[in-house]
Amino acid sequence: MDELRNYARELLEKEEVAAVIGYQQVTEKRTKPIVITDPAETSRLVFNEYCLNNLAVYLTKARIRSLMRTKDKTMKLAIVAKPCDVHSIVALIQENQIHRNDVHIISFNCHGVVKDFGCDFNGDNLAAKCIKCETHKPLYFDKIFGEEKQTPKAGDASLEKINELEKLNSKERFEFFKSEFDKCIKCYACRAVCPLCYCQRCITDKAIPRWIESSSHQRGNFSWNIVRAFHLSGRCTGCGECDRACPMDIPLSLINRRMAMEVKDLFSFVSGRSLETPTLVGNFDKKDSDEIFM
Amino acid sequence: MSKQKWEPKIVAFVCNWCTYAGADLAGTSRLKYPANTKIIRVMCSGGIDPVFILKAFERGADGVLVSGCHPNDCHYNAGNFHARRRWDLFHKLLDFVGIEKDRLQFSWISASEGKKFADVITKVTKDIIALGPFKTYQDMNAEFTTVFPEFAEAGNKEIAYEEEMTNG
Amino acid sequence: MKIGVFICHCGENISRTVDCPRVAHFAEGLPGVEYSIDYKYMCSDPGQKLIKDAIREHKLDAIVVGSCSPNMHERTFRNAAVSAGINPFLVEIANLREHCSWVHDDVEAATEKAIELVRMAIEKVKRDKPLTKIRVPVTKRVLVIGGGIAGIQAALDIANAGYEVVLVEREPSIGGHMSQLSETFPTLDCSQCILTPRMVEVYQHPKIKLLTYSEVVKVEGFIGNFKATIKKKARHINEDLCSGCGLCITKCPTKKKSYNSFEENLAFRPAVYVPFPQAVPNIPVIDETVCMYYKNGKCGMCVKVCDRGAIDFEQKDTMLVADIGAIIVATGYKLYNIEKATPESKYKGYGEYGYGKYRDVIDGLQFERIASASGPTAGEIKRPSDGKEPKKIVFIQCVGSRDPSKGISYCSKICCMYTAKQAMLYKHKVHDGEAYVFYMDIRAGGKMYDEFVRRAIEEDHVKYIRGRVSKIHEENGKYIVKGEDTIAGMPVEIDADMVVLATAMIPQDNAPKLAQTIGIPYDKHGFYNEAHPKLRPVESTTAGVFLAGACQSPKDIPESVAMASATASKAIILFASDTLEREPVVAKVNEDLCAGCFYCKKVCPFGAIEVRDIKDVNGIIYKEVAYINQGVCQGCGTCTATCLSKSIELAGFNNEEIFAEIAAL
Repeated sequence: MDELRNYARELLEKEEVAAVIGYQQVTEKRTKPIVITDPAETSRLVFNEYCLNNLAVYLTKARIRSLMRTKDKTMKLAIVAKPCDVHSIVALIQENQIHRNDVHIISFNCHGVVKDFGCDFNGDNLAAKCIKCETHKPLYFDKIFGEEKQTPKAGDASLEKINELEKLNSKERFEFFKSEFDKCIKCYACRAVCPLCYCQRCITDKAIPRWIESSSHQRGNFSWNIVRAFHLSGRCTGCGECDRACPMDIPLSLINRRMAMEVKDLFSFVSGRSLETPTLVGNFDKKDSDEIFM
Repeated sequence: MSKQKWEPKIVAFVCNWCTYAGADLAGTSRLKYPANTKIIRVMCSGGIDPVFILKAFERGADGVLVSGCHPNDCHYNAGNFHARRRWDLFHKLLDFVGIEKDRLQFSWISASEGKKFADVITKVTKDIIALGPFKTYQDMNAEFTTVFPEFAEAGNKEIAYEEEMTNG
Repeated sequence: MKIGVFICHCGENISRTVDCPRVAHFAEGLPGVEYSIDYKYMCSDPGQKLIKDAIREHKLDAIVVGSCSPNMHERTFRNAAVSAGINPFLVEIANLREHCSWVHDDVEAATEKAIELVRMAIEKVKRDKPLTKIRVPVTKRVLVIGGGIAGIQAALDIANAGYEVVLVEREPSIGGHMSQLSETFPTLDCSQCILTPRMVEVYQHPKIKLLTYSEVVKVEGFIGNFKATIKKKARHINEDLCSGCGLCITKCPTKKKSYNSFEENLAFRPAVYVPFPQAVPNIPVIDETVCMYYKNGKCGMCVKVCDRGAIDFEQKDTMLVADIGAIIVATGYKLYNIEKATPESKYKGYGEYGYGKYRDVIDGLQFERIASASGPTAGEIKRPSDGKEPKKIVFIQCVGSRDPSKGISYCSKICCMYTAKQAMLYKHKVHDGEAYVFYMDIRAGGKMYDEFVRRAIEEDHVKYIRGRVSKIHEENGKYIVKGEDTIAGMPVEIDADMVVLATAMIPQDNAPKLAQTIGIPYDKHGFYNEAHPKLRPVESTTAGVFLAGACQSPKDIPESVAMASATASKAIILFASDTLEREPVVAKVNEDLCAGCFYCKKVCPFGAIEVRDIKDVNGIIYKEVAYINQGVCQGCGTCTATCLSKSIELAGFNNEEIFAEIAAL
């Protein structure tokens, strides 16, 4: 822990970065994000199994971005990122939201985080994304800390749910999603927490024309959730923050994961894994599937 | 559904250069096909947004067809390739959330394929008739409209649209 | 907003199945509609006057015309609207003819549909914005692809009008198929004698940049503003130093390593060669595949004999980029490959005629070389197998052509004429020889053409047999041609010394690939499509790309030349003004809302989207946004659908307008 704090302090003292985005401990089993600009404050930084948030979302927030701009130059932002959060950063770099040179990635060898604050770290309480995680070591980083440790074993409940839904017929699936989406209160927490929902004005906030019915009735909820899922298709890196943020417990990442599976299937593409691979959206292959076209 | 016999409502989003011209050729060749489909012309199949399809369903469409130039023949070189990738994904998404696959269909129809245009429209119309009215989508707001009856009575068409236009 | 609705009967074309007065009456009751009327011929002068008068009288802001397809009369009605003071983009067409009355029988259903189509158009026109046309500059330079007679003619015409031409030819020399021909019908004048002066003229013309042994690999941009990338293949000879003395060719030790493609494989050529003596430019090419130097690094004889040091084994392919205003495609044809069909070829082959198996069964171009004074036999008619003079020769027409079972349904058009010519040339050279022609029909339409065929039959006593040949086999050095004389109604058998097959003209192998590079459509055979079969025969559907010669369909020389001059005049017409008027259907970014993800930039097929920096008061970039170059944008709208935050709108087809159409369903 001291390594991380010292490193962050040095970065700030040498003015290599404008700010460090990291985690601070709130209670024994709870952390929250912190943005540090004062070297003295780096002593509050922590990294452990309770660092749930995907801090990459802050890289696109205007108020944090404003820290980067001094009177005469642009400075870097340092960010404490789990290997899975690095995927989001990669996606953001590919989508031109931040330049690789403008972000200083401090990452860790990771063996998983808990599914919610307050839980003990063990196989039963492992976050869903950690169960299927394949990158315990970050793919891109400027500094890495931590030992490699074994991730506890756990059953993949969300995959089971997807398989279960696959077996249903269209009507039953429609009913399932309708009832799930029906719970939506259009609080847009899923949007606020998603690192890739960085649009200056979301499509759902557009009034002329009204793209998505804004009332939280069934139809408006349905189209909002479809459009959200579609806009993330091929972009979502699977951080699962939408699930965690949703106050109504709509299984949002279920649909994201299912689309990620399709994307992998159809185009052999996984978002946020490589800076060199062209993005799925915005590119094409002449050999893309022609199956659905008459 | 006050009509005596239900007729499906189908929207076709077509590109200006190939499918629209193909539909023109179907006309010039006097080929016959069912009258249920209305065409909305855009410049390129690459310019059709998936939200258009959701909107069409919201507006009571029972089926949607999206059609453009054949791969490699796009008037804009690559618009249809981008479209293809988009629709491959969107179709999977709609399937997963339980919208029958045949509700949304796709085709490549060139300007010289008047016959194919007529055939595709006939097929889509037949498929949609087999599926029946898209009540699952249209009735989604049944509960909502009982709480806000004025919403239902307005026929949720022009008025709803006007409301949307202004409440931004 | 006051909208006028005008429903056309199109004589009876629309009104037969659509109740036009009912449609007009219905439209009258729709919100925003000030005036609605139906009329027999809206596109006629009185019809247009009716529209103009209504616009003035009712002070209309926008109009909807329910008529034929916008591809027919949109311009007519827009012009009428403009003359009455309405912006042309506040005119919407409801397609009541091609999309409604002509395709439906039931009056009730068709009328219902017509009403909906009109309602959709009304909703759209309510949201249409007035637009003004965009003017873009024109690069006054033409790219001519293909250096055959068509390409040569087009290049010379344009250059003589004072505009620059880049002429790209795949082979080491220009001249194309015409340079291979012996004599030309119907005048029997020597092909090279009339062609080579033109070739030299091209070479010497100050306005023509000739790029031989080169291929067009990429074309970007649009009419008036293309950017072409041309690959100049390595000749391994420095063109600036070479004097064309030909010493390297005569001294090259690899004399018989490769077939001479100019001689249609009837002769050999060394590793360093010029295709034929009159080649333009007269600069040799080293064939890497047979040159000893590339095999084992030895030899280098050419280096030793070249006193100018022009041999350059290290030379690499180079890429050239040129700004181009118009493109003329003149890539020509090739002959049907009759030898045998490969599993993937759509052409089925003619194994029964033994081409490729029997050396004296040859195709038309091979006979041209044999009959040519500069050919492998110096113009004497000799059999390729043993060099003997054939005393009995059989010509077979329509080999491939007009034979759907073999994959080609069309007539190759020139074979009747060139077969008559070849038979005639044979008779002129072999006085005691007999010439037979098997034909399906004689198609000799053209000035002096039929007279020419008659001459072959009547003066030169060529024996014409109407019928097909079923099989050719070899027996004691003779080729037994079995066929049928359908006029006499009996089988015939001829023991010929030589057989010439008039094989079909087909597009070049890479024709579809080039079409995709340029962005022009082609038919199922691979011939390029003209914009209109009658009224726009030399234009492709892509603006600024024109078609000359046999790449569009089989053509003879005068037709190719006429077509080439036509394309030249099309290009010159384009260059007559300094700017080009373009439809204002272009996309525009809302910079306030753009998040700068640049997916639009990735999808744009035209590279019209640029990065624009937004800076804060201190001049520090705080945001990058997309900016669309309106001159480059072609208005496909792919960016608008890709943009996640919907910060791009396509003028004329903006999202609000399309939503209105959907809502009006």
